[in-house]
Amino acid sequence: MIAGYRLQRRLDADARRTAILRVLGAVGGLVAAGFFLLLTGRNPFTILADSIEAVFGSKRGIEGVAVQSVPILMCALGVALSLRMKVWNIGSDGQFLMGAFVACGLGINIDAPNWLLLVMMGVGALIGGALWILVPAAARAHWGVNEIITTLLLNFVAVQMVVWASLGFWRDSSSMVTQSTRIVPVTLPRIPGFDSVSIAFFVPLILAVVLWIVFRSTKVGYEIDTIGGNPRAAAFAGINVPRRIIVVMLISGAIAGFGGFLQLTGAPGAQALNGGGFSRSYGLSGFIVAALAGASFLGVIVAGLFISAMFYAGIALQTKGLSVYIIFAIYGLVLVGVAIGETAARYRLQKVATDGGAASAAPTTPTLAEATP
Amino acid sequence: MSTSEHRLAVEVRDVAKSFGGVLALDHVSLELREGEVHALLGENGAGKTTLSNILAGLYREDSGSVLVEGVERHFHSPAQAIEAGIGMVHQHFRLVSSMSVAENLHLGSPDTPKVVSSRTLVASARRMMDEIGLHVDPTAKIWQLSVGEQQRVEILRVLARGAKVLILDEPTAVLTAKEARELFGVMRQLVAGGRTVVFISHKLNEVLEVSDRITVLRGGKHVITRDAEGATARELARLMTGEEMGIEVEHREVTGPPVLVLEGVTARNSRGVEALHDVALTVRAGEIMGIAGVSGNGQTELAEVITGMRTCERGRITIDGSDVANTSTRHIADLGVGHIPEDRIGVGMVASAPVKDNAILRHYRTDELSSKRMLKRERILAFAKDIVEAGRVQTRSVHMPAGQMSGGNQQRLVARRESLVADRLLVAAHTTRGLDVLAAKQVQEAIVDRRDADCAVVMISDDLDEIMAIADRIAVMYEGRIMGVFDRAEFDRERIGLLMGGQTETEVVA
Repeated sequence: MIAGYRLQRRLDADARRTAILRVLGAVGGLVAAGFFLLLTGRNPFTILADSIEAVFGSKRGIEGVAVQSVPILMCALGVALSLRMKVWNIGSDGQFLMGAFVACGLGINIDAPNWLLLVMMGVGALIGGALWILVPAAARAHWGVNEIITTLLLNFVAVQMVVWASLGFWRDSSSMVTQSTRIVPVTLPRIPGFDSVSIAFFVPLILAVVLWIVFRSTKVGYEIDTIGGNPRAAAFAGINVPRRIIVVMLISGAIAGFGGFLQLTGAPGAQALNGGGFSRSYGLSGFIVAALAGASFLGVIVAGLFISAMFYAGIALQTKGLSVYIIFAIYGLVLVGVAIGETAARYRLQKVATDGGAASAAPTTPTLAEATP
Repeated sequence: MSTSEHRLAVEVRDVAKSFGGVLALDHVSLELREGEVHALLGENGAGKTTLSNILAGLYREDSGSVLVEGVERHFHSPAQAIEAGIGMVHQHFRLVSSMSVAENLHLGSPDTPKVVSSRTLVASARRMMDEIGLHVDPTAKIWQLSVGEQQRVEILRVLARGAKVLILDEPTAVLTAKEARELFGVMRQLVAGGRTVVFISHKLNEVLEVSDRITVLRGGKHVITRDAEGATARELARLMTGEEMGIEVEHREVTGPPVLVLEGVTARNSRGVEALHDVALTVRAGEIMGIAGVSGNGQTELAEVITGMRTCERGRITIDGSDVANTSTRHIADLGVGHIPEDRIGVGMVASAPVKDNAILRHYRTDELSSKRMLKRERILAFAKDIVEAGRVQTRSVHMPAGQMSGGNQQRLVARRESLVADRLLVAAHTTRGLDVLAAKQVQEAIVDRRDADCAVVMISDDLDEIMAIADRIAVMYEGRIMGVFDRAEFDRERIGLLMGGQTETEVVA
């Protein structure tokens, strides 16, 4: 009798097993990335060592990751929020840019005390991000228009808006840089003891905890999860589904927009819009983070810091001749690994006999020989 | 059992199968003869579907063996099973609705030539149909066909691959009575040609009507295999459940005040066609108004318009005197109206969410379970456990996704939850559809309990036996109209049946 293995679908998907396999999948994706780096003639171990050195080797590295994590986490939280309702907001890059756009416009054109200006810019960024998703939200809620397309396409419009502002009406004519607006006059305070990390760093962490509590113990959280699970059942229970979809999508956009404000006023050297480059595809990174975390808000923090570290390492390694686009390729492999891990959690490997009709694995078959004449 | 005079198509020997530690099939042995309709009877979770999925190559047995025409086979895929001559028609069809019948018949078949035209496909589909003796218009698109015709396409698709053993998983669950009758004709025709049909069902009357032999499974174990001749429904029900079945309802004279009053109600269905015409109906406290009719004659729309899920175009709907037409589902529920919807998975629950979240779907806004914003998590847990216990829902934990429970337990949960909402009126649509005998009885008891608590009940069903057993009055619906209302003393199966078929009261009397 030869024993073999086969996949057996599980009836239940255990949350802890799923989490472990997701992490293993991410690691698998990184290993696969290593092989590809090897194919391009680079030593993945050297790159790994350099990355770890770049991130953890100095205070500067750790601060760099912390600074980088703010826009990525804000975009990720926005995406994760709408994902709880099974709405795919692919447009957080555009909402991030439009939040920064409104904040910048207020910052360079209004004369007010610093604290008041910061408040106005923050509120403006929330509104800017929310407005940028208003049309996709209304179209989705009332006519079922696919939000993936509409939110994605608006990213390109947002980039052009920012480019126009930096080249045109808000351009800093006194600067040698052709593509830059004037610098906003206010910044968020630095955290004591840090050179470059501002208090903006705490905002996504606090927000993640708040969202976690909302979905764990409030009526609104329950209603949103119910819509995500089955909109018809939500309507049956008397929940106003279209209105909830619009409100949640607007908040999702506002969070990404507020990320734009935090970047503009909190990150070192980011106090002006410099075209589309103001966002280094933070929306894309944020989307990856939300997908990695499976729309769990505390998971967003873990995955977000991981992705931020990778992103920072990628930028640091540019000096060694690595393109930053390699980071996006690695993201892709990690994402595929996580998807495989998540699917694998729903199966298990079972040992079975492959011939003879008798099984070695089934413990409940003492009388098997009698059955075979 | 003498096996010498019958040729065996399939022999199942001591097959066991477990899922996540639960034994779904406990060493079952079974013989399927050539040329017989063999019914597999059992409650939800008895192992019928597991056994047929093993035969059809969807699951692999943990131990034991399957012999096809005397040769031991272990299937790794449905394709291997069909190659060995075993094919299955699933409860949910696997047809491409935008394609034609001929295209669907050739889809995925190894015999389909690489280069085809629609003309050759239609011609070859006609040939298949002639050979098998079953006919559907090969040029029709699947979406244009009735459910019964779609099922026929599924059967053709399996038989066209040369299946000698055809497994039908709950084939009548989706059919009207007339379509079911036609299906039985097809089944008899197939076995007359030497094929074997495995008929999975828990409708006892159907099983007795069409089968040659009957195998009863209970809790994954083989209970009995016997000839259908001489078997009785009562005996089979006892074998299936291990206890006496059949609900006994006491009927009293109804004297309660009217709770639900419909006057001139007109509504459209989801395709925009008028589905209710000028409906008038009064349901009093403490009575069960049975709505009899063939599915699709406006019953769904009636339930939805009463519970606020559908727009009422014209007419008045009052509950305890207050007009509720076109208010909201929430407002109507707050008046004490519970609703067990026809599509319990699609509308009545969130399958991916835990049992506890489903238990509070209608009550999470009450002061008992939440304050202005926050949910009271401990009370919610206690509330959910109460529903599970009082509703006799069998689940490992209230944290388990509701969709992982059996259909019977899902319905027990929904029925219990809606009973708690229904202080004044319970609208229950097709509550026992697809349920096993025990679960059906418990859900029916929950409905009768509501009536006994002086609640008005609207019970929609296309099972006339069920309505005649339980309802205090019966309203017959046909094409969106109420054709007649009968008191219990006037219940007359034949007359009601004729009205359901579209004859008017005057024609019936004459």
